[in-house]
Amino acid sequence: MLEIKNLKASINNKEILKGVDISIQPGELHAIMGPNGSGKSTLANVLSGKDGYEVSGELKYQGKDLINIPIDERAQKGIFLAFQYPTEIPGVNTNNFLKTSLNKIKKARGEKEMDTLSFIKMIKEKSNELGMNENMLSRQLNVGFSGGEKKKNEILQMKILNPNLAILDETDSGLDIDALKTVAKGVNSTRDKNKSFLVITHYQRLLNYIKPDFVHVLADGKIIKSGSMELAEQLEKTGYKGIN
Amino acid sequence: MLDFKPNEKEIEKIGKFSIEEKNFRIENLKNFNSVGFPNKLVEDWKFSDLRHIVSKNFAKLDLKLKPSKEENFDFIKDFEHNYIVLVNGRLTSNSFQHEDNSQIVINPYLNKDFSNKKEKNPLINLNYALSIEGFNLEVKDNYKFNKVLVIYNLFTKDLNENILNSQNRIKIGKNSELHVFDYVINKSEKNFFNNVYEDLYLAESSVFKNISIQKNRSNGFFHKFSKNILSSKSNYSSFIFPLGLKFDKLDLEFNLEGENIECNLQAASFLNKGDHQEIKTRVNHLAPNCKSYQKVKNVIDLDSKGVYQGKIFVKNIAQKTDAYQLSKAILLDESSEFDSKPELEIYADDVKCSHGSTSGSVEKDSIYYLMTRGLSKNESVKLLINGFLSEIIVSIKSKTMKNFIEQKLLSQIYEH
Amino acid sequence: MSNQNINKTKEYKYGFSTDIESIKAPKGLSENTIKFISEIKKEPKWMLEWRLKAYKRLKASKEPDWQKPKFPKIDYQNLYYYSAPKSIKDKPKSLDEVDPKLIETYQKLGIPLNEQKKLSGVAVDAVFDSVSVATTYKEELTKKGIIFCPISEAIQKHPELVKKYLGSVIPISDHYFATLNSAVFTDGSFVYIPPNTKCPMELSTYFRINSSETGQFERTLIIADKGSYVSYLEGCTAPMRDENQLHAANVELIALDDAEIKYSTVQNWYPGDENGKGGIYNFVTKRGACRGKNSKISWTQVETGSAITWKYPSCILQGDNSVGEFYSIAITNNHQKADTGTKMIHLGKNTKSKIISKGISAGKADNTYRGLVDIGRKASNSRNYTQCDSLLMGNKCGAHTIPYMKNKNSSSTIEHEATTSKINDEQLFYCNQRGLNQEEAVSLIVNGFCKDVLQQLPMEFAVEAQKLVGISLEGSVG
Repeated sequence: MLEIKNLKASINNKEILKGVDISIQPGELHAIMGPNGSGKSTLANVLSGKDGYEVSGELKYQGKDLINIPIDERAQKGIFLAFQYPTEIPGVNTNNFLKTSLNKIKKARGEKEMDTLSFIKMIKEKSNELGMNENMLSRQLNVGFSGGEKKKNEILQMKILNPNLAILDETDSGLDIDALKTVAKGVNSTRDKNKSFLVITHYQRLLNYIKPDFVHVLADGKIIKSGSMELAEQLEKTGYKGIN
Repeated sequence: MLDFKPNEKEIEKIGKFSIEEKNFRIENLKNFNSVGFPNKLVEDWKFSDLRHIVSKNFAKLDLKLKPSKEENFDFIKDFEHNYIVLVNGRLTSNSFQHEDNSQIVINPYLNKDFSNKKEKNPLINLNYALSIEGFNLEVKDNYKFNKVLVIYNLFTKDLNENILNSQNRIKIGKNSELHVFDYVINKSEKNFFNNVYEDLYLAESSVFKNISIQKNRSNGFFHKFSKNILSSKSNYSSFIFPLGLKFDKLDLEFNLEGENIECNLQAASFLNKGDHQEIKTRVNHLAPNCKSYQKVKNVIDLDSKGVYQGKIFVKNIAQKTDAYQLSKAILLDESSEFDSKPELEIYADDVKCSHGSTSGSVEKDSIYYLMTRGLSKNESVKLLINGFLSEIIVSIKSKTMKNFIEQKLLSQIYEH
Repeated sequence: MSNQNINKTKEYKYGFSTDIESIKAPKGLSENTIKFISEIKKEPKWMLEWRLKAYKRLKASKEPDWQKPKFPKIDYQNLYYYSAPKSIKDKPKSLDEVDPKLIETYQKLGIPLNEQKKLSGVAVDAVFDSVSVATTYKEELTKKGIIFCPISEAIQKHPELVKKYLGSVIPISDHYFATLNSAVFTDGSFVYIPPNTKCPMELSTYFRINSSETGQFERTLIIADKGSYVSYLEGCTAPMRDENQLHAANVELIALDDAEIKYSTVQNWYPGDENGKGGIYNFVTKRGACRGKNSKISWTQVETGSAITWKYPSCILQGDNSVGEFYSIAITNNHQKADTGTKMIHLGKNTKSKIISKGISAGKADNTYRGLVDIGRKASNSRNYTQCDSLLMGNKCGAHTIPYMKNKNSSSTIEHEATTSKINDEQLFYCNQRGLNQEEAVSLIVNGFCKDVLQQLPMEFAVEAQKLVGISLEGSVG
């Protein structure tokens, strides 16, 4: 699904990622852990194609080079980023936004666009699954949403857009335990053998609810250790300093 | 109808000048005479029809030729300070006893810039043509004042339908710091007009703080144009408490010429008994990464009028500008009026610029709340006005200053 | 002329012109021109005298020059003040008599006039250069006592109403362009809603400038009698031409006791090309008088076209408890310039006004909001709320906010807020990440920015306006 080899990225001449290697197969869920400033969010941004980074190395998605593909085309090819800080867009109705987005992606996949009625029906289902009040979706996109609501909205979008590769950037940060469980449930319910996940987190907490196949530790722009769930548990005990 | 058009010969009467200077003065006098005092058809004077105000209040306007005797006045005893005394605009004495005098230059007014740049503001024309008083103050590089400098602006009893023109210049060197306390003491009982031009230059990383206040109500008609040039990393902050003037227009221009400048202006006034007061600001953001902030509060009572015209200009290169402006007014009486024109002119896209302006009565709910706690209506209103204006005072850092201002301002409110 | 222009109409899809034989007044502005117009319209003598009075006044007045967008001097002697399709000379009695070319033109503009195809729920008066060519749904409206006709027809058939109200909101001496319009106005719409009548459909006028070197001077007069309601829409387009063309309209609204007028404009005159060549000068005077108590006038405008837009749809709130509203979107791209806003004059007690203005500036354009809120001494317990937001795209354009506020009543409140912002990169990134391309993302975000205004438009036009917002900004983000 995703092959990352010796991936380097810098911004304003400052190198943040200093040679990252990760290989994700379909159906796998990888977790990336790391201390603040280790380059976790940069990795998420580079994978989604955000502007402003100087990128080198190899980045292959479904066997094809990704580096020069613009953000929207990556999204249309099935890469989804759940933002750490979802941005507010005043005046834009959340439902309309989601529908526009879904139909863009469907169109790129050669699928039929969804009409309003079936869209609303789907939204209703999916938001109920996440314990979200569907009225929230008639509000302006992320405007006035609480931290938890914003994160749930990201997961809802993930469920609706049905990506091949979902990158979750610190989706657990700022969530209380109930919201965390809901988010985890949302992720777990979409796992299947064709989909891959890259879950970025600072704490092991989330991984108690979303079981990763692999855990990588990112520090100072490099993967310094990879392993299984035990690695995350070890981290919890010893902290990042204990890893070497 | 007063037709104030000083004759060119007046210039000869006020002093002996080089040909260059004389021509400069004549040129400016011609410019003034061609338009006279501006009326409301002039955009900058839309809300303050000076021609009308002058002709309503003056039968004549004489140039004050003979200097007045310095009159006795009380020095401020609340805090130690350096001082400059200006009598009707003329520098008469000074003391920098708390400072290293080698770091300071102080002398009477001296204009040597007779450039041909055509000045369009008729009040500045008038000032350029007739000004012979004022002071020039320079603070050398790397010198921080130990104590505040009080500028005593004394207006004498013998003023009677006179017009005074003066020019002041302050230059603060690199990394230097000066705090000024502008204090106006008015002994005149008759109407007079005071027209001041002021230049302030802040060199790199310098700090200038200023507080202006009037000691008492008076029959003064004041106009001041102040041109402020701010260099990179400099910090300007000013608190203005203009009150008790028949007419007052403060026209302040700020040119933020370097990066990382902070420019902060706050004003609070209580206008009463026919006061007419205008504050006009123009902040020119000419370089990136600067911050500017203006907050103007007015409480307006009997027959009085408050005006705020504020413009924020952002040049296309001035990205990351953070500019904010707020004016608020409370109208207390049927005869009070507040006019405002907060203006934005923006040519850079990555900026944060906003303004707000409100005017209206005292919050009725708040009065109600206070009255349920046993205060009379009058007391409630006073308390609310006090709170409204105090918001400006509390942001003054120095405690002694804060107390001093509070007393002055509150006495204005409570005397009413 | 027409064919060579069609090639360029990609960006401006209304840029075609119709090849049609027309009758024109002699070139230039003179008493003869005015007499010509009056005569061809078969006007009564009082109307001609009114026009000549305005012309006399015009000769003594000067063009204003305080506006932000400057423009080269207009040669008033080099303009045609009247141009009409020849076939219209004797006003066709029914659509069958209208030149098919004209019907086709409106069809192309998306305004079908045929009985079978006409827009449902919207009555249209179609104005082509200087004349009204057709008005739909006339009969249905007549049944309710509603008069909706070209103003030239109203002058003949309803002189008492025209005499009473024409110039009562915008006096002939108002200012240069208003006076010019009073002297030479050619056509426009007239609406009268009788007491206690709710107009059952949207009324709409569609303005089209076709001829070159021709100014369009339309005049619209809408009177809502006691307790009545009307919603009125206007749309405008013009062919692409290299010259600048002048459009100086006057619109007067009068709302009597308890009446409400909602006036919406979607202005899409030709804006000129990307180098600033050509385009319409849209210098329009629009003013409404809330003359009766509890009356309401609401202006909504979406201004995307014209080389220069210069207008301030205003409300004079005379009646106690009357309400004035102004909702505006002004989009300027390339070399377009706009200086627009409103005046809210509070005279009556308990009067309320609300101003929501959204200015968007891209390319090398300049966008100014200019507004006046004036609360008079007697306007007790009045309120104004103003919100002015500007959006800049790039640093070659400008955004200006120039509000004037005068509060002379201590029981009345004025509240004004203004902000300037840009579309931030995070918003674009977010939309891109959800599969939208740059232009779609910009269009979405800008429509969000304009939402408060767009939702004021009648349904039929809101969708069109949303598209227009997107199209107007195409190519403005790299």
